[in-house]
Amino acid sequence: MPSRYRSYLRFLGRRLAVTAMTLFGLMTLVFLMIKVIPGDEARIIAGPEASPAQVEAVRVKLGLDAPLVVQYVRFAGRVAQGDLGTSISTLQPVVRDLAEVLPSTLELVVATMVFSLLMATAAALVAASRRGDMVDSSSRVVAVIAGGLPTFWLALVLQYLFAAKWRIFPISGQQSFQFIADPITGSPLLDALLRGNFSAFVNAVDYIVLPATALGVFFAAQLFRTLRASLISILQSEFIVAVRSKGASFARILLRHALPNAMGPTITLAGIQLGIMVGSAVLVEGIFGRQGLGAYLQNAVAQKDTFAVLGTVLVIGAFVCLINLVVDLLQLALDPRVRAAQFEGAAR
Amino acid sequence: MNAAPDLAAAEAVEAAAPELLRVEGLSVSLPGGVALVDGVSLTIHRGERVALVGESGSGKSVTAQAVLRLNDRLRIDGRVMLDGRDILSLSEREMAGVRGGRIGLAFQDAMVCLDPIMTVGDQIEESLRIRGVGRAEARRRAIAILTELGVHDAADRLGSYVHEFSGGMRQRVVLAMALVAQPDLLIADEPTTALDVRVQRQVLDLLDQFAANHALSVLLITHDMGIVASFADRVVVMYSGRIVEDASVFDLFERPLHPYTQGLLAAIPRVDRSQDELAAVPGSPVPPALRPSGCAFHPRCAKATEVCRTEVPPLETMGGRRVACHHPATDGVHAV
Repeated sequence: MPSRYRSYLRFLGRRLAVTAMTLFGLMTLVFLMIKVIPGDEARIIAGPEASPAQVEAVRVKLGLDAPLVVQYVRFAGRVAQGDLGTSISTLQPVVRDLAEVLPSTLELVVATMVFSLLMATAAALVAASRRGDMVDSSSRVVAVIAGGLPTFWLALVLQYLFAAKWRIFPISGQQSFQFIADPITGSPLLDALLRGNFSAFVNAVDYIVLPATALGVFFAAQLFRTLRASLISILQSEFIVAVRSKGASFARILLRHALPNAMGPTITLAGIQLGIMVGSAVLVEGIFGRQGLGAYLQNAVAQKDTFAVLGTVLVIGAFVCLINLVVDLLQLALDPRVRAAQFEGAAR
Repeated sequence: MNAAPDLAAAEAVEAAAPELLRVEGLSVSLPGGVALVDGVSLTIHRGERVALVGESGSGKSVTAQAVLRLNDRLRIDGRVMLDGRDILSLSEREMAGVRGGRIGLAFQDAMVCLDPIMTVGDQIEESLRIRGVGRAEARRRAIAILTELGVHDAADRLGSYVHEFSGGMRQRVVLAMALVAQPDLLIADEPTTALDVRVQRQVLDLLDQFAANHALSVLLITHDMGIVASFADRVVVMYSGRIVEDASVFDLFERPLHPYTQGLLAAIPRVDRSQDELAAVPGSPVPPALRPSGCAFHPRCAKATEVCRTEVPPLETMGGRRVACHHPATDGVHAV
């Protein structure tokens, strides 16, 4: 139906406009943070040993002597051109730094989300279909406990048991030395796939299992609880009895009718979780020695590397906006009633 | 109207037609032990249309769902014989074959009994796809049955969703879903209650036509005596989980034997008689948990005596019909 595609495009256009405004607000906030943070930018950039004259020279050179409004317009112009400033610790453009570290973090976050969703969905399907019995009750207890484990503690325990003691998984890093090649995207998993190198892919999976597990357990527990509750409420609705009266098997009822109808809240939650996960990934990356955003951000904060920190904030903000957009599109694809509400609302 | 020859013909058919479904001593109870349905027995012959009548909570729908074992939380006792085979003892897998395949079930409120996010076409075809019918063949038969049920642009409507349909169209979809796999018996649970009167008429006429064309047996659950009169061959009246009367439509409307049936019939508004006030059965129906001893209807019955309070009246056959009452209005019936 071409009209439906046109509706999708119109929706996408409207949402992109909203996203642009959100990012503009975030950028403004970031600019104000630079100005509010204690410490003279010119002083920091010139370095601790610079003379007052040198600091003044830097100030004039970078335009930091101009009125705030002028500085803001220039800053916005640079950001619009994809220039987030230069890191004082790597002496590289922040954008280039981020291009190096972001893929590793995104790889971890996406792998964790896939792992969490699979675990949570499998467990919720089993628990909801055996509601109230031993399997269901014990899975709920496990979920409560799993949801309460601190991520950094879990990371350390997993590392100690599975890497140091039993040597099942590598203890640290993101791929073995022999598989390191010129990055295409910077994500070992994705690069191995793009090269068609199966053993490199397996190797990268080996490295990501422990950090993804440590990071994912908390999120998987939340997803499980949400999906289980939705499934149980859907399974009690009248149309499920109607499907059964057609002669459908329980597996079919569960997978073809109950699950698609129950996914909505879980997808929304997963979207929110992805944003939070980037924050938690910083901790886990540190413990497992992954060269991602976490190490970069830690270093940037320690070095008072203002542009690096703020560039990272802006990029994470953009990531969250993108996830929100994807979640909305998924909800549209999943539920015709949401489509009707959105598309007819747009027509008016 | 010349009703007598019709009646004779109907009785001849009934006598000749083989039994399709025989429910014997069906009791359905909640986990706590309250019997929602208490010892119901009824028979449906091939091609016969039986109306199951009663107020809300009388156990009509519970009986229907128990026949197909649709609620696992309820305890079901008794026998449900389909072509001489007890389907209550079937495995879950065999039962799935009966559901939709031998016995179709159409629900009351189409808005809540259809999957909101699956296309109407996929839902109708599902009844066939489950049984191994190919995609193209299933689509062809879905279009055919919707067309037969009066949806003229059926092929174009299959990709729509429930919320895009009007009430009358939705109910046709529900009927198509129950009938597409060509069951021998349709159990229709208040199929027109959610519709306005004009659409009700249309849907009933379509169902009437369809049943006639396909020699379909129908168990119609309703509380609308007007629908009963125009659609059914035979009427089974339930009160508080028990059958109180079972008779041909003609006999029942002509001479109701049970005081409760008499009350139900008196409550039908008539345009051909002047009435200052609409008659109603005094009191209100009792929930199964509070079912009184003896005849469950006795607190609302003008004829109730001591025996009604203590003894449950058995469902007794008299003159080709059944009634469960200690004081039935039998004058003249035995002579038939």
